[in-house]
Amino acid sequence: MDIISVNTFWTIWLLVHLILAVSLLGALTHQAVSVVMPVRQVAGPAGFVTRFRAVPAAGYATAVCVLWVLTFIVGSYIYTKYRIYIRIPIEQAGYWKTQGFFDFKEHVASIGLTLLPAYWFFWKNAQKPEYDTARKIVTVYLAVACWFLFIVGHVLNNVRGFGS
Amino acid sequence: MSTPTATTRTSPATSSLASSTRFRTFVITFAIVGPVIYMICLQMNWPLFTYHPATNRFALGWEAARSGEGPNMTWYGWTAMTLIVGTVVSFLATLLPESMSKRIPLILVWLLPILAIPYLIYDLRQWWFHP
Repeated sequence: MDIISVNTFWTIWLLVHLILAVSLLGALTHQAVSVVMPVRQVAGPAGFVTRFRAVPAAGYATAVCVLWVLTFIVGSYIYTKYRIYIRIPIEQAGYWKTQGFFDFKEHVASIGLTLLPAYWFFWKNAQKPEYDTARKIVTVYLAVACWFLFIVGHVLNNVRGFGS
Repeated sequence: MSTPTATTRTSPATSSLASSTRFRTFVITFAIVGPVIYMICLQMNWPLFTYHPATNRFALGWEAARSGEGPNMTWYGWTAMTLIVGTVVSFLATLLPESMSKRIPLILVWLLPILAIPYLIYDLRQWWFHP
């Protein structure tokens, strides 16, 4: 006997993917802002933006790697159902650009995956100036990629979510 | 009252991995060759395997979708190929003398992933210009 319906099962996994993605997005955004606009010294009360970027960015590196991999794995799992139950109707409806953006998303996610070991290494050696430029650009790249992946996934779910 | 100053710097790496020269070579090589291998797999359509989700079937290399068996999926195969070949190449790079491995330009770690973006946009042109 099934405890939950098939639709509920996949919707739960989609929500797990979403929660992991939001956590990753938050961590990477804090970290990217902190490297682009580092807080040097604040006289007087700090505003929201200052507090937002005044985070111990190096401490996020391992969590970002773990979250990226977990989000990637869960996304890969639900992709099997997406390919049949969502992508085919999207193509039948003629939403070609939407489909193009999903393919773009999968490529960006894979490329991001290949950058994670270097990203982790650069942050674990953040005291070495020789890695500063690479560390900053790779962090910003991953943050922008994560926002892109998140927005495309969100729009796709709006176009045709699980169970629709 | 003032906000504590947060810097992006930390104390020197204490992890053996983070301070290992070989690991440095491995991760930098992996970040450089990873996007390149992925682009090649994409361009040549060289997945390690093809997955057929409707029948839950795997096939080595590329295999076309079969009539009545639903679509095929190659993205898993491209990604797996990238990770495996990237790992092998990066491991081989760690065998190089340190004098050579230190010459691997760091700029490629971020330049190649950036250059991959316009290539991907071009590669997906069938969707942007679909009638």
